[in-house]
Amino acid sequence: MGSALPARTKFRTRWEAWAATVFVMREDRLFLLLAVLIGIFSGLAVVCFRLAIDWTQIALLGPSLYPPFPRVVIAPTLAGVVVAVLVIHVFPGVRGSGVNHTKAAVYISNGYVPFVTVIGKFVTCAIAIGSGQSLGPEDPSLQMGAGIASLIGRSLRLSTEKLRLIAPVGAAAGLAAAFNAPISAVLFVVEEVIGTWSAGALGAIVLAAVSSVVTMRAFLGPESLFRVPPFRVAGPAEMLAYAVLGVAGGGASLLLLKLIVYARPKLQALPSWTQYLQPAAAGLLIGLIGIRLPQVMGAGYAIVDQAMHGQFTWKLLLLLAALKMLATGFSFLSGTPGGTFAPTLFIGAMLGGAIGTIEHHFFPFVTGTVGTFALVGIGTLFAGFLRTPITSVFMVIELSGNYTAILPVIISTMIAYVISRAYQKVPLFDLLARQEGLILPSVEERRETMARAVEDAMRADGVIICEPADQLAELSRRAEANAEAALLLRVKPGEWWLLDREELIRRAPDASPTTTAVHLKSKGPVPYLFRDQTLEEALQVLGDWPLLPVINRADLAKLEGILTLEDTLRAFRKPHIEEKDL
Amino acid sequence: MSATTDTSLPEGSPRIYSREFVFLLCVLSLVVLVVITASLSRVYHKQVHTLADSWFAHGQRDMQAGNITAALTDYRNALVYNPNNTRFQFSLATALAAAGHGNEARAYLLNLLSESPGRGEVNLELARIAVQNNQLADAERYYQGAIYGEWDADPIATRWQIRRELCEFLLDHGLMKQATPEVIALAENTPAGDTQRLKIVGPLLLRTQQWTRAQELYRDLLAADRSDDEALAGAAKAAFELGQYSDALQYFDRMPRERRDTPDLASAYGMAQRVLAVDPFVSGLSANAKAQRATAALTLAQSRLQNCARQNGESLLETPPRTDLQILWARFQRTQTDWSERDLERFPERLDASMEFVFGAENAAAKSCHEPQGDDRALWLLGRSTSVVNR
Repeated sequence: MGSALPARTKFRTRWEAWAATVFVMREDRLFLLLAVLIGIFSGLAVVCFRLAIDWTQIALLGPSLYPPFPRVVIAPTLAGVVVAVLVIHVFPGVRGSGVNHTKAAVYISNGYVPFVTVIGKFVTCAIAIGSGQSLGPEDPSLQMGAGIASLIGRSLRLSTEKLRLIAPVGAAAGLAAAFNAPISAVLFVVEEVIGTWSAGALGAIVLAAVSSVVTMRAFLGPESLFRVPPFRVAGPAEMLAYAVLGVAGGGASLLLLKLIVYARPKLQALPSWTQYLQPAAAGLLIGLIGIRLPQVMGAGYAIVDQAMHGQFTWKLLLLLAALKMLATGFSFLSGTPGGTFAPTLFIGAMLGGAIGTIEHHFFPFVTGTVGTFALVGIGTLFAGFLRTPITSVFMVIELSGNYTAILPVIISTMIAYVISRAYQKVPLFDLLARQEGLILPSVEERRETMARAVEDAMRADGVIICEPADQLAELSRRAEANAEAALLLRVKPGEWWLLDREELIRRAPDASPTTTAVHLKSKGPVPYLFRDQTLEEALQVLGDWPLLPVINRADLAKLEGILTLEDTLRAFRKPHIEEKDL
Repeated sequence: MSATTDTSLPEGSPRIYSREFVFLLCVLSLVVLVVITASLSRVYHKQVHTLADSWFAHGQRDMQAGNITAALTDYRNALVYNPNNTRFQFSLATALAAAGHGNEARAYLLNLLSESPGRGEVNLELARIAVQNNQLADAERYYQGAIYGEWDADPIATRWQIRRELCEFLLDHGLMKQATPEVIALAENTPAGDTQRLKIVGPLLLRTQQWTRAQELYRDLLAADRSDDEALAGAAKAAFELGQYSDALQYFDRMPRERRDTPDLASAYGMAQRVLAVDPFVSGLSANAKAQRATAALTLAQSRLQNCARQNGESLLETPPRTDLQILWARFQRTQTDWSERDLERFPERLDASMEFVFGAENAAAKSCHEPQGDDRALWLLGRSTSVVNR
């Protein structure tokens, strides 16, 4: 019969047999395999993206760090017009933050990121960054990764649950390749996009990040974005110097955030025809700055490298930090697609370098080099502006390949983070989402929301503890004295039963002295709780029980209180202390 | 298709678009994308390296033309396209140092040093920057690193030059203790026939007070050229410091007058003459002349003791004598009758004792007051000279 089958059917039969052997795997295993595939795709996309940016830059601004006039003004202005036309007519989906697009994919569109945005981000960002707009390639890379992952997930018809997770997996891959820092990328996605350490997603995210970095390194080399000179950190007294940097970094990130808070809605409210001109206007202003200080143009990694090597005076470093803030403001607010990660690194490095140089001048005993301060400054601004403190700390360590800086970085980033949080309640990505009309879950809020515990709702009164040997007459007296109290029978440590009150009162008058609590009708054993468990856990256990005993973890015979459904609901209605403060 | 997957294909979907097929399609497109990216990246790297080399060549030309500012820009541009090229980094650091931006250069050099700690040229540049910044310990450390580091071209000669630079740096900063072994090592690493280098080492030996080694070195030089002024001056100075005043005088006398009268030599020449004029032990002197010189020396020593005691507000007549000056004066009072000119002529064996007193008095006065001048200094030097010890 086999020989009688047509060739196509024969092939199909063989193919199905082979596929059945090779692809018999659960979806979660397939998901891990896909993560590797997504990582490689994203790595390749990021390599091509970086080549595109560099080629565009060489073509538009020339091969020198110092582009000649009038090219330095004309290139970003004209490129701005081209980008505006592309964004308005061809790729309208590329506007906005890639992080929020990925979050929207997770929380709103079941993991759907249109592939056209990948192409759109690639083209428009390459033109914008290559022409000198003060933006970075990381956020677009993140979105490209998410877009690629989403396309693969959809093509493979993954379940909705996996489709939602696949966008962050791609985002981590894209960011890891762009930063050449897999740990930071994983942390960023966990910290900012998905907000939880979900075991299901973490493995895939790590695999994708690692495979994308390996791919990227295969083509562009293992070198970091900038070289960090050797450094050492002296005694604890020196930490004060980094605390000062933390304060300055917190102030600077706050300034940048406030600029976006204030100016973005105003620019968005302008007539729609101005959107054709806004990127060009930003390009013109940046070009004008670039006539004297071309360092502020583009992503600026080469300049960060120079700052790390102490190539600028403190005055120039401060000026570059200030002008970069301005230039990034122009580019970002004009709606030019591109990320704010690289400008944040730039501003942080310049500010850190400046603070370090000034401190060296006044306090010569400070041993940290300008490069050390620049490095710590990067983490500081990142934590203050993007509000991802854990990522910031690990990013600095990963970029420098040196754990020596961990203490200064922690001190400085935490100070900047606290200052930024204190004076700007809504974090950047939430703010951008709200300005775009999206209400995405705030990962920062979620991270810091304290779960309500059993001890917040339980009460110590309203219960009578009965022992198995207690006589009914005595128990009845106690029950009548406390009319509302529930009766809990302690059979043995860890075993509690609920006694029927009405039966007790009914049988007590005629009960013989040998009739004790164990002879009463009771319900149990009752599940018990501990005071530190969350109310969400308690609700799951509560079920149909009118109350649950809350007992001591060290002594299961010791009752600490009881919890009822009413108590639980009351506790949920009660605002948290922090919420009241707000 | 896996039987355990959560989602199944919609009914009626053609099997050819199954998950497995799409997966394979992904892998195939991945292969295509890898090939495309590899080709693009090869083109990119080629272009970038060409640009980097071109900027670097520009920089080299600008450096040779003395246009350091332009060279700095060129090197920075080169580093944008090839940031890990150590040659570019070193050239930028050298240009920065040449432009007076030592601290800026230092960061790049430290980077290079962390990658290859044994690289001689990096250590040397760091040492020179440390010298500019007056960071003596760092400078010495980096110089040592440069001496024992790797050098591509003529390492022996280069190391010799660096050690010489180190010696001069240490001596210029008064670090005599550290300089001495380096100068000795430099002298030992100098080939015997290399007149040019020997003439560099000689003054360094003199500056580190390695008189014997300096004398030997200058003797070697004089063996090659008897009338070499520089060698004669060095030999004279070494002989003078070794207390070989007669030899010193001979070297001085062989020098042209104008050379001998230069300020650095004239005083030594004059003093050598004085020492020989007051020395009663010069061979060939008659007994009378010896006695006369010893008597004159005793008179000088006596007044030197008195002057010094007066200067210190001290009485030489105090009994019992406590200070060195008082003890010497008391001894002189006891024995002066034995040291008359006539007695010294008649009993030449008393010459030693009398001169021992003279040298003791000059020494004590030098310690208690100040270093002597004139004939007192001549006697003091004579007392210290090895010629007296050896006599």
